[in-house]
Amino acid sequence: MTSRKLAHMALLIASATLISVTAHSQTGDSVKMGLIVPLSGPWARQGQVMRVGAEMAIEHINETGGIHSLGGRPLELLVFDAGDSVERASNAAQRMVAEHPDLIGVTGSYLSSFTLAVSEVTERAELPMLTLSYSDLITGRGFNYIFQTSATGVKQAQDALPILMGLAESASGIRPKRIGFVMDSTAASVAFVKPMLEGNTLADNGLSLVVNETFTPPLSNAAPLVQRVRASQPELFLLLPTAVSDAKLLLEKLNEFGLGKGALPTISNGSAMGDPDLKANVNAEFLEGVMSIVANWGVRGEEALSQEYKQRSGEPWLTQNPICAYGHVWIIKTALEMAGTADKHAVAEAIRTMDISDGPARYFPGNRIRFDEHGRRIDAELLVVQWQDGEPKTVYPEYAAIADPIWPSR
Amino acid sequence: MLQPNKHRHWPWIMAFVGAYALLSLVIDNDYYQRVMTIVLVWAVMGLSWNLLSGYSGLVSFGHAAFFGLGGYFVVLSQIAWQWSPWLSIPVAALIGAAAGLAIGSITFRLRGHYFALAMLAYPLALLYVFEWLGYQEVTIPRVTDAPAAYMQFHDQMRVYVFIGLGILVLTMMLSRFIEEHRFGKSLLAIKQDETAAEASGINTRAWKLRAITLSGAIAGGIGGFYAVVQLVVTPPSAFGMLVSAQALTVAMFGGVGTVWGPVIGAVTLVPLSAWLDARFAQDLPGIQGVLYGVAIVGVVLLAPEGIFWRIKDHFKRRGIDPTPGGQGSTQLDAAQRLSTQQTYDDPIIMRVRDLSKAYGGLRAVDAVSFDVNRGEILGLIGPNGAGKTTLFNLLNGLTKPDEGSIVFNGTEIVGAEPNKICAQGLGRTFQVVKPFRRMSILENVIIGAYVRARDDAEARTMAELALDLVGLADDAQRIAGTISNEQLRLVELARALAGRPSLLLLDEIFAGLSHSEVDALMERVKRLSTLGITIVIIEHTMQAMVKLVDRFIVLDHGSVLTQGTPSEVTKNPEVISAYLGKKWAENA
Repeated sequence: MTSRKLAHMALLIASATLISVTAHSQTGDSVKMGLIVPLSGPWARQGQVMRVGAEMAIEHINETGGIHSLGGRPLELLVFDAGDSVERASNAAQRMVAEHPDLIGVTGSYLSSFTLAVSEVTERAELPMLTLSYSDLITGRGFNYIFQTSATGVKQAQDALPILMGLAESASGIRPKRIGFVMDSTAASVAFVKPMLEGNTLADNGLSLVVNETFTPPLSNAAPLVQRVRASQPELFLLLPTAVSDAKLLLEKLNEFGLGKGALPTISNGSAMGDPDLKANVNAEFLEGVMSIVANWGVRGEEALSQEYKQRSGEPWLTQNPICAYGHVWIIKTALEMAGTADKHAVAEAIRTMDISDGPARYFPGNRIRFDEHGRRIDAELLVVQWQDGEPKTVYPEYAAIADPIWPSR
Repeated sequence: MLQPNKHRHWPWIMAFVGAYALLSLVIDNDYYQRVMTIVLVWAVMGLSWNLLSGYSGLVSFGHAAFFGLGGYFVVLSQIAWQWSPWLSIPVAALIGAAAGLAIGSITFRLRGHYFALAMLAYPLALLYVFEWLGYQEVTIPRVTDAPAAYMQFHDQMRVYVFIGLGILVLTMMLSRFIEEHRFGKSLLAIKQDETAAEASGINTRAWKLRAITLSGAIAGGIGGFYAVVQLVVTPPSAFGMLVSAQALTVAMFGGVGTVWGPVIGAVTLVPLSAWLDARFAQDLPGIQGVLYGVAIVGVVLLAPEGIFWRIKDHFKRRGIDPTPGGQGSTQLDAAQRLSTQQTYDDPIIMRVRDLSKAYGGLRAVDAVSFDVNRGEILGLIGPNGAGKTTLFNLLNGLTKPDEGSIVFNGTEIVGAEPNKICAQGLGRTFQVVKPFRRMSILENVIIGAYVRARDDAEARTMAELALDLVGLADDAQRIAGTISNEQLRLVELARALAGRPSLLLLDEIFAGLSHSEVDALMERVKRLSTLGITIVIIEHTMQAMVKLVDRFIVLDHGSVLTQGTPSEVTKNPEVISAYLGKKWAENA
């Protein structure tokens, strides 16, 4: 019995090798990079749109002559499914580096816990990896082969308040004086708000805290919370639910109480608040005017790209994840041009020393690509998107905005 | 599982480990080494689940609690105090054990589905606690100067295969040890029928606590090792539903209640899942989950008890008849050896005074008083609902009386646990017999002997004597699931006898038997009486009873209607109208 089981397993392993070898023996002279994202499980949709973004970039690069410094060799994308768990993501990463030693770079993996697990493998394989994940931990481990293009979680929390004050001033000419918070108890929300509440941060910005409520998800009744918000009359309102069901309840109540559609400037955090998925679950009318602070989005000057993406993916608008994947492939292309050799160490070194304000830089807020010694993009900025006419549009900063912010002028 | 030839597992375990190690040495690909490591993690996790749920039948949906605590401890102790996993994994096992003990002492108040659902709550609660603590993502810091000292072998994943094999062997040895000894058999008795186990003298709570403590230790340790291999721990990867489910799946798939089940399950399912991921994820993402599910459903349909039992049954059917020849010693001899009991001067073995138990407005047992004389056969009769079985439950401690006193061999036993009462020499059988079908007759009876036996060998001797006494010695090795109803009743009787009771409560042991079978069983009961065992018997077959008993107590509506010799009682007009009926009077 035992030996039979072993034989069975050996057979499985052997056939796996055979199949994966045949699957990938394509054009011999292409330069290979990897995309490792969840393509199955609860996050599959985000992985799918990232795949669309990356494949678009590959096509655009190859249509314009491939990698010029390598005599026009084409760039090829190998796709790996990070699945629905840290274990699957690690397995996929290990398989990727074991079976494809010729990869020169990789991008992924959407969820920061997956990115952490995958980069533990790519770091040991000395394979450069680009990621859009926010977590500070990703670039806080002293690794040399991981590069983070988004503003990290801590930086987002630090920058949020100045950005919102700037937005309010540019939109209405008035600096708000009263701020309120309603958030769930998940660590992401807590971590985002914490730096704003510490020390004299609010006072230094001329703000007084009028309401601060934390709820434990799931929310059963949003009315008491929203009532407190209405009673305290904030001029700036941070709303940080994580679950779609909680967001729906809160937004419905805000509208019911006459605080919706921009009447009360309501700001959230993260790309989920601008995801097409949200529109499928929450009445578009209730979303109108809601803002979110994000690391990347479709911005001014990307109209053609946005149009092509919509056609290919069937998605209604360009969000943070596909545009990042698109830009990451271009960063790898640029690094290959700089390195002049299809070698992962040279590509990593090129990314480390890169300092560009054109080319792929325009796909990332701040419009400049250079990394610090941790692998964090130094010039990473944030965008504010706002739901207008059933679509989240970039409204801040001005250089990226495709619409004016709706803000009550008083 | 509990073969007479108990040592034949060891060569198999060693062969498996050797082959696995050899395969690891031959393969030169870190991905396959990782999959082989993860196979071992889930095999050990399955064994941990099996140790509690497989043997005792208490299904746990919450093993992720122990696994996750171990994983988080290993990561956090290295971050905070620079502890090496070589040290922190054993400590993680201790933490798992402590968690098991704590969770067990709370949750064992519940049984069956309620226990399973309550267990589900612990990892869910811990998941939120660790999120709240801000441990969304923690990683093991990379150590570059002395990686081996910190168990960091990610450049040679093969080392993890060997460490994992070491943990697996330890766990398999522990599981085998438990299977072969009193521990495992007590758990199996609990699985069979917790009430019967308790009445047979097994301290069910103590054994369950030991099981969940050990199980928690294994899960905590392997959770720590898993963290070392993965390097990243998140609340879902540590406490998620998938973790508990995976432990349960490998065990159910491979076979529950055997050391090989989880190993077979993990060796089959983990590589299958990995292969499906590698083969289909790129082109048809998501299909791997569907195929995986189909494979599991297919096996469950073909082998509902798991692959191991399917294979075992297959070979057993083809093999020789397991009925051993062997010559039973003479029953008289056995009887003499079994009846070596403590002697008491008091001619009354049990005094019951004013015993009452009410369920709401129904007074099931109402101020019942009677004595049981040493050495007699006392018949307890009365119409259905008279309170006979309730009275038995009060006597052996399964139900606590509202008031009254029971003095057994000079000791007040009201309020004592059934297993303690059993240990004092009060045995009983149940109306409904539920043997563990995969256990042999001998093993069924051994469970009853543990209450008196000092070790496994003595328990076996005592069980063999009891089987001799009821005439089942020649069938000792037969599997309980294959024997007749009459034999099952004898097994139950033998199990009660194996604990060497001085007072035996028999609850309708003649029910469903033919005339000739009743006569044969009656002879055996009479012989027990001649050995000095006092017997109280509930029975409806009056023809048998009048021939068997020395004295009757008649219960009606929870009270003693009358008591006396068979001839007195059967002529009592009250008894005739309440129970025997006019027809009896006419025939008599």
